[in-house]
Amino acid sequence: MMEKGLYLYCVVAGNETRGLEIKGIDGQPVLTMPIDDLTAVVQECQTPIANDDMKILSDLVLIHQAVIDLAWERFQTIVPFSFGTVVVERDGKSKEENLREWLERESETLKEKLRRLEGKAEYGVQVSWEPAKMMEKITRNDKEVRSLQEEIHSKGTGTAYLLRQKLERLVKERMEVAADAYFKEFFQGVRGQVEEVRVEKVRKEDPSRQMLMNLSCLTPKGETSKLGEFLDRITKIEGFHVRFTGPWPPYSFVNF
Amino acid sequence: MEPVRQGHAGIVDLLDRVLDKGLILNADLIISLAGVPLIAVSLRAAIASVETMAKYGMMRELISLPQENPR
Repeated sequence: MMEKGLYLYCVVAGNETRGLEIKGIDGQPVLTMPIDDLTAVVQECQTPIANDDMKILSDLVLIHQAVIDLAWERFQTIVPFSFGTVVVERDGKSKEENLREWLERESETLKEKLRRLEGKAEYGVQVSWEPAKMMEKITRNDKEVRSLQEEIHSKGTGTAYLLRQKLERLVKERMEVAADAYFKEFFQGVRGQVEEVRVEKVRKEDPSRQMLMNLSCLTPKGETSKLGEFLDRITKIEGFHVRFTGPWPPYSFVNF
Repeated sequence: MEPVRQGHAGIVDLLDRVLDKGLILNADLIISLAGVPLIAVSLRAAIASVETMAKYGMMRELISLPQENPR
């Protein structure tokens, strides 16, 4: 059953009465609801808002981000909501009353978040390596690995098979140690250039690459030259790749 | 090195943020998140490869984030 709701985009500081010049979901106007020196950026909607159609889903995500981008540009500092947050009518209270009560209750927390995020933007940093290339480099001067390799060459098939398994385990271990060391070094480097860092789950990459590190970084908007320089140094190391994305509204820094 | 929002990396990063992050409103009584966790799963499946995205025409559309009249 369809139900009427208020789709939430973000919360901004101050009492803003002017809506945004953009069409939201289902072509609805994007409104501002000022409450107690905070303003919610919302629109009327029907809920559930989505079905399984991929095209419609990607449109909704696009609209969510486009509205939040425009609000971010206009109001400078925002606390963005997660995609698909809809306030509905409950317990004899209208959706507007429910939203107002929630905002009043969370007022201090939200204001604190807005203060912390003022003028800041989020950037994504992902570092990957090519294990095949790195393996050679990491084990080249490793005595234990070298002597195992030589032993494999000099032994008969049966023994060589077992030794190869041993070698595989050893190389895997060395790779893990190396990955750990690189992570620590890169993490320290990135942390030194930004205000806050969050470690995210690594994602799956195309088969030749492996993601070592996925970070969300918070820094004053546009001030990325030092971080960029540090990342340039990583890209110069053979076998390493860096992705640097943003600026994003501070999605990763609003839930605590 | 300058940060970018375009390309496959930008899309994946954008979806990660929009779908998994942002403020979570912890008030079950007044909100409706019906279907959203499922949405995240389906969208993720679709962006698993650049090829799939290109096939559905999502690449082009996600790259040019519309500012006006997105529909």
